[in-house]
Amino acid sequence: MVDQHSSAPEGRQPTSSRGNLFQTGHKAIGLQYLWLALFSVFLGMIMSLVMRIQLVWPGAHLPMLPSFGNSPERYAALTLLHGSLMMLMVLTAAPQAGFGNYLLPIQIGAADMAFPILNLLALWTTAASLVGVTTAFFLAPQAGVTLWIASVALFCAAALANALNISVTTIDLRTKGMTLPRLPLTVWAWFINALLSLLIFSILLAACVYLLADRVLGTHFFSLPAMFSTASRNSQAVALSALWQRLFWFFAQAQVYVAILPCYGIVTHLISTFSRKPVWAQRAVVLALCAVGLVGFCIWGQHTFASGLDPYSPLVFGLLASSLGLPASILLLSWFGTLWNAKVQLTTAMLFALGFVSLFLAGGLSGLFLARNDLTATAASDDFITGHFHLVMGIAATFAMLGALFFWFPKMFGRSLDERLGKIHFWITFVGVYCMFMPMHWLGLIANLHLPPEAALTVAAAAVWPIRSLVTSATLVTITAQGIFLVNFVASLLKRSEAMEKNPWRATTLEWSLPSPPPFGNFAARPPVVYRGAYEFGVSCSEADFALQSGPADGTPPAMSGGTEPGLKCLPPQAAGTT
Amino acid sequence: MPGTPVVDDIELIIEDIGGGGGNPPPQTGDGGGGDGEPNKRRKPTPTSPRRYQTAIVLAMLSIVMFFMALAVTFLVRKTSSDWVPVHLPFMVWVNTIVLLASSGTMELARRKELAGDLKGFRTLWQVTTGLGVLFLIGQVMAWRQLVEQGFYVSTNPASSFFYIFTAAHGVHLLGGVGALCYVLFRNFQKTKLTQSVAAEITSHYWHFMDGLWLFLLALLYSGK
Repeated sequence: MVDQHSSAPEGRQPTSSRGNLFQTGHKAIGLQYLWLALFSVFLGMIMSLVMRIQLVWPGAHLPMLPSFGNSPERYAALTLLHGSLMMLMVLTAAPQAGFGNYLLPIQIGAADMAFPILNLLALWTTAASLVGVTTAFFLAPQAGVTLWIASVALFCAAALANALNISVTTIDLRTKGMTLPRLPLTVWAWFINALLSLLIFSILLAACVYLLADRVLGTHFFSLPAMFSTASRNSQAVALSALWQRLFWFFAQAQVYVAILPCYGIVTHLISTFSRKPVWAQRAVVLALCAVGLVGFCIWGQHTFASGLDPYSPLVFGLLASSLGLPASILLLSWFGTLWNAKVQLTTAMLFALGFVSLFLAGGLSGLFLARNDLTATAASDDFITGHFHLVMGIAATFAMLGALFFWFPKMFGRSLDERLGKIHFWITFVGVYCMFMPMHWLGLIANLHLPPEAALTVAAAAVWPIRSLVTSATLVTITAQGIFLVNFVASLLKRSEAMEKNPWRATTLEWSLPSPPPFGNFAARPPVVYRGAYEFGVSCSEADFALQSGPADGTPPAMSGGTEPGLKCLPPQAAGTT
Repeated sequence: MPGTPVVDDIELIIEDIGGGGGNPPPQTGDGGGGDGEPNKRRKPTPTSPRRYQTAIVLAMLSIVMFFMALAVTFLVRKTSSDWVPVHLPFMVWVNTIVLLASSGTMELARRKELAGDLKGFRTLWQVTTGLGVLFLIGQVMAWRQLVEQGFYVSTNPASSFFYIFTAAHGVHLLGGVGALCYVLFRNFQKTKLTQSVAAEITSHYWHFMDGLWLFLLALLYSGK
């Protein structure tokens, strides 16, 4: 399985600063994805702020909206831009393409991704798609929608290329000794996610091809020709637009898991590292990750409840959707099992990981309501869904990404983020998001009270308005608090580069055996040999409580890969990396 | 067809590179002339042809999903009442024979290569490439035939599907032709990939395109 790759990395060496943008090294590309995501997340946040203000003070003078006549279409376009920026550029690209590109090759001991040039192409296609999605907002509605679809198609192509690269790299470029059971769970998550992406993004691409043909070439895949009119025209037209919805949901339902899977990996990794304990039931976690991918792919019928379509077989899809509870429970159990009795180090990265767990629990509980197929179409498209979706997906995934950033920042930039500012940022954000999205659930429930119209109005006046304002003020505060993060981030980058130790968190995976930031080509002429599992914390040692995966460089007999054996030999942390 | 190919171009690039583009670009603009020699020297040790094999398998999986989504839409759309059957143009059948023949010559070429007959391999490989190009030209001629019958891309759903299917398949096949040319003209002295491995991977993709075309043809025929 494991094949000895060449030590010399392919692709272009960074020669000058100008060449930085076009170099094929996986770390440069990963960072550029993260920059794209950072730009998009702030743009997307501004959009959401504008939307909240519009909801509470409809008459307020807002930038961008009035110039287009403040029409409902502009609000819809705003929602679309917010959604596509956050969904595509942040939630899909950052955890998978950003962190995955940067860390996966190092964690498996490879010099680079399998196809560096393809990797660069994917990055630039993603960037083009970002430009397209944003430009579409400023065009006339019809042209804008066409451009938006084309940009989404571009994004699909880029995601496919990236997924191909990540899966091939994981399959074929693992270093000697990096067997599947020894893979860090982050790598498992990226790998499973890449396989899932390979399958679903081509479906969205196909759907985009049809839709573009309908818009540009005048075909009628999802609509009836104008001259065609019979008595049954209406039901026919509905059936055809349902066809589009089915194709779309096939993708979109799985896409939820594409965004969240890498986050599971990251969070499990962080919790284990900062609990100083091996991942509890590691094999079960791997199986659970596989199950999430598999069920995520099969679950496509479920959302047809929400859009009021006939899902062919409500029972099967209802069961499938509910059965996702099983892998989710395994993950939760493993997180709590790891935390049990542990000497937890509450670093900012760990706080964000724990925040993820909390949000995941809260969102998962409200999600139970949505697996029911008797939920009406209105209930599914209102504030309840908005609250649930943002909590479990957007915010939880963002927490995982922030945790990852705080954790790997020292490795990426050779200096660390400020912990105190980080913790202040965490607590304001944590409380803020609960104040934002929990009340939204109430709003959704209130809207579903079956009251006579005049009573409904009173309820709306009494309850809805204060809740709406609470949500909007919480949004304002939370978004302002992101300024703390931005200041922390920029200040840390501008800080004079300190002589960072290689392994500040005393973690076990291979990237911590390299200098910070790792050099081009990672391990250069000497690919590491892996002797140990990825989470060997708490091993009986005098000086260190952990063992690097490439542990005994001096020829000590390789240890078993279980990680929990009490008699495990281990070395001082820096032993493997001495050059 | 301004809309579709733009989208699919990217996929084509993926296929192309998945087949062997991960290497640095050639240093010199060597043509086909000097290519007979490299094969006589000792073959470079293939460091990891496996990654190309894996990539092509995964890419095919992804392409299958793409065409499945296209096909499912076709099957559903076929049942709606505005469906007007379109007779497949005659050229399509000629093209099918050409494509099947190209798969045959490709297998013959690989057999020659395994037997060490590199000259025979090159000739047959060139024939395969020629047949591939012929197929693409034939598909365009099939379009012309349809247009002469008055079926444009937007005339009715059946004709739309014909144009979209053939275009999507054609773009993917163009990637295959690119890979065929890569095997012909690449100087394998400078790559980690050997010619025989490159030929093998290309042949997987080419046969896959062949089977895919038969599937699409059966589908289009069923809509008649």
